This record gives sequence, structure tokens and C-alpha cells, in this order.
Amino acid sequence: MIRHYTSCVELLDRAAELYGGDIAFTDAEGEISYTELQHRAKALAAALIANAETGRTKPVMVYLPKSIRSIVTFMGSMYAASPYVPMDYNVPVARFAATAENLRPCAVVTDAAGKAKLEAAGLELTILVYDELTESGAEAQAVETTDLDPAYIMYTSGSTGTPKGVTISHRAVLDYTKWLVDTFDITRGSVLGMQSAFHFDNSVFDMYLSLYLGCRTVIIPEQLFMYPEMLFDYLNEQKISVIFWVPTVMISAANSGVLEKVKSEHLKLILFAGEVMPIRQLNMWRAAYPDCTFVNMYGPTEATDIVLYYIVDREYAAGETLPIGIPCANMKAIILNENNELCAPGEQGELCIGGSGIAMGYWNAPEITERAFIRNPLNNKYRDRIYRTGDLVYEAEDGNIIFLGRADSQIKLRGNRIELGDIEAAAAAMDNIKSCCAMFDHAKEEIYLFLETDASIVPRKFNMELKKLIPAYMAPQKIITMPAFPHTPSGKIDRQGLKKQFMED
Amino acid sequence: MDIAKTISDFIIDKFEIGDDPDFNNDVHLFNEGFVDSFGAVEIVAFVEDTFNIKITQKDITLYPMNTVNEIAAVVESKL
Repeated sequence: MIRHYTSCVELLDRAAELYGGDIAFTDAEGEISYTELQHRAKALAAALIANAETGRTKPVMVYLPKSIRSIVTFMGSMYAASPYVPMDYNVPVARFAATAENLRPCAVVTDAAGKAKLEAAGLELTILVYDELTESGAEAQAVETTDLDPAYIMYTSGSTGTPKGVTISHRAVLDYTKWLVDTFDITRGSVLGMQSAFHFDNSVFDMYLSLYLGCRTVIIPEQLFMYPEMLFDYLNEQKISVIFWVPTVMISAANSGVLEKVKSEHLKLILFAGEVMPIRQLNMWRAAYPDCTFVNMYGPTEATDIVLYYIVDREYAAGETLPIGIPCANMKAIILNENNELCAPGEQGELCIGGSGIAMGYWNAPEITERAFIRNPLNNKYRDRIYRTGDLVYEAEDGNIIFLGRADSQIKLRGNRIELGDIEAAAAAMDNIKSCCAMFDHAKEEIYLFLETDASIVPRKFNMELKKLIPAYMAPQKIITMPAFPHTPSGKIDRQGLKKQFMED
Repeated sequence: MDIAKTISDFIIDKFEIGDDPDFNNDVHLFNEGFVDSFGAVEIVAFVEDTFNIKITQKDITLYPMNTVNEIAAVVESKL
């Protein structure tokens, strides 16, 4: 079957045609069929077009709790040809404002509480309330887009304190989803258990597989992840067969002992990405679910979720590293050394990726786009864009790629991608701070924030202030103050010295 | 019996909060770092034992249980 989709909403149109009354999505509040989703999204599109200046360069910020309402709004925005921008519902208002300034959205779609919060902060944006938008029921005709227009923009941590808007085309999403369908045993009868929040790229997996295949996605309520037994009861109740979770969630499930206590009867396929999966907890999962397929995946937001994958095909012993594997069908991976030359197998270098899943760039940020998305130095024959991931890797003898770490100060903490410079920029904006530096203790998985200050600082209070500027997951675990930083002979902060004195690794 | 006080006494003692002035019955226990995510299970086990009730998955998904007062409200609805 060859079909040439040119827009993500065509997936919904086809699903509504073929699977109509089937349940597409379930959340804590209820469920929605493909037909109803299409209807509500088109009604929302009509309201958007009536109330805002929509279009391919006019994004819609979606500021709603993790729910079906978010999906309706994403689809509605795309019917109106506007890229959607999933926002963290818990984001500090100051960060929301910084994002809006970079984005210049045509509208924000939110609920009554979100509207009150944004208005109280004095943000001058067109703020629309979801319930009012879907009331009328009159459907819009889909506004035509091409597959090279942006489908969505996802903001990630930026090293200077300004979030970066990764812009992903319809083509990237369509090709990624097709690869998933071709590669894994996921069918119309599968039930997907969505863990990711919508402002993380892993959510693309569940949402678009459902639209492509007609399989149901269960949007797992976020709170359930704090209660492992109830979570696993819920997996059973909902007959969930496929999960794509961040390792942090899988690790805490394994450590809680729930794997031995509650058997999730329907699980068949277990995928994970976003950070390194430790072998010990992977083995606990494999022991509990010997008949399941386990897949380690890798990919930055700049590559529409996933670039490399490795189907776990043997037992791994503690101390071994799980490969991140080989490229997806529509993607390629090259490893470059410092001189932009191809690394030989076994030689360490920076992972650079190309293919149809690569982002269009960072929204309204041509300079950082040019630095990160470069012309493939190995190819002078045609336009061949690659993205420098900043991840250090090497190619093993069997062709699988092995992840080693970061080339810069970006870290992954509980699946969240964090630029330490982002934390430093927020801390530097506080009163009485002369200088600051943030570092990551890899052994303890804790962020240390060092503050040069004469003031007496209560760490938790400081963190509460910090969390008005940066998301809570970025807040440091340890805050250490001193009246003067040690310096290197060249006059820079002596980070190594601080590290030696206060941190383990 | 003051439900909220019983719950807050337990949390203050169990998670070593002491007389922190920022702690109150409306503060977000998890976002503000008073209780780590594993602590949620312990709090639920405590209220189930103390008040002889059962907190179900529906309670967790339908009602917020992030502050002392929110937890107390769920407990009260079951007594």
C-alpha cells in the first residue's frame, strides 16, 4: 500500500474514515473516538481561524494539562495550518513569557486556570479558552499545507538560559511513524500506554502511531507513576500491550518491587529512550517479562524523537553497556572526529545525524541553527544537512553504536534534558549573587549549584525562587555557597577544584 | 480528630521537615521538595492504616493529592 501523506492531519482524516467509532485515546477523564476527535479538532480550527491570525508561520501555544484536550488542540492547530507548541503545564510564568517572546504565537489555547495565570502575569497574548473554542461545533475546512511546513515546535533547554524551539516538519513525523509501523510488531489491536508529557518528543510515538494504525493510546495519568502498584493495576485494566517510557520510570518501577508483585498480563513490547538504561534494572524487567521484546532507543528532540535503535537480543551483565544501535530507515548516523573526518570503527567521535527526521532548525534563531545544523563535511556533491548532537559515541565491531557521554555541559536527569548554563543564567539573575556555576555529579545523579555570595542563603528558599525562572526538574539538589570562588591561573572559575572538593564524580 | 493535622504531623516527622516556615497545609509537597516521589506511597499507606480507608487508583487519578489539605479532602470523603 503506497499512500503519500503530506500532512499529519491526513492521518486523522484517514483514521476517522477507516476506524470511525473506535476509541482513539483514553485519559483520566474519559475517551474519544477518531470521528469525535476529527470533529472537535475541526471545530477548534474554525474557532482559531475566527479569533487569531493562523498560518504556517503563526504557531499556537497549547497550555493544557496532559489530556485528550491537548491532542484535539494539536490537531485543530494543524487543520488551521498553524504549528502547535506543547507547553509544560507546570512551567514557570517567566519561562512561558521567554518562550512566547521567541515564538510570537498567534494564540495560546488553555483552560480557565491557565488563562488566569497568564493574565495575572500581564502577558499580552491572544489567550483562548479550550471549552469555548470547541463549543460551536461548526467545522473548518483543512487549510492546505505541504509536508515541508512545520507541524510542531518543541522547546528544549538552551545553554544561555533562552529555551530553543525545535521545529519539526510534517514529513519528519510521517516518516518516523511509518518507520515505527514497519519495524515493530504494533498493530490496530495494540494498546499503547503513554508515559511522556506532550512537551517531550517521546509523546510523538504514541500519538501518531494511534492515528496511523487505529490502535488506542491510553494517556496514563501522571500521578500514577508515583504509585507503582496502582500503575501496574492500571496497565492491566486498560490492557496495555506497548509501553515507551523513559528509563527513570522503569528504574523506579523495578526498584519498588512491583515487577514481582503485579504482573501486567498484556505487555508485549517495551521500548525506552531519553537516558541510559542501567543493566541491573533492565535485567529485572527482562526476568519479569521474558516473552516481551525490549528496545533501547536513542534520539534528540532535533530528530523527531528517535534516530537509532537496538533490539535487546542477548543477556547483558552488570558493567556492560547497552548499545544504542543502528539508524532507523529514514535516518543516517556518522561519527566525526575533531577535524570533521569520519572516525574508524572503535574510534571515539561526535555523533552527527541526517535524514528526513532532522528538524527544520530552531524557531526564530538562525545563529544557533547554523551552528547545530551543518552541511555534511563528507559530502560536497549535494545539500546534505546533518545535526551535531554533541554526544560522544563509537561504532562497535558489530556495527552497533555505543553511547559514551556528552561533549559539552548538557546533562540528562531523570529523562529531562538540561543545559547547566540554563541553570546558571537563572541563578545569576538572583539578588546578591556575584558569580555561580552549575555542575553535575554523575555518580550521585545530582546537580550542584555553587554560588559566590556574601549573603546567607537558605538552599530550599533559593530553589523556590529559582523555580520561578526554570522548570522544577532543573532545580539543583545541592547548593553550596562561598564568599569567593577558587580560580585557575587563567582567571576562570576552577571547576575542577570545586568538583574535587565537593563532588564524587 | 483533625485529619489535616494528623497527616501533616506524620509528614513533618517522617520527612524531617522540622519547623521549616515554608511548610504549610497548602504547599505542593512534591514540587517544593518536602517529599520525594517514593514518599507518596508511604503517605498513602499511612492514611489507609490510620483512618482505616482504601485509597484507590480512581482517587489518585481524579483528585489532586499534592498538598496536606488535598490529601485530607480525599480522606474525609471516605470516612
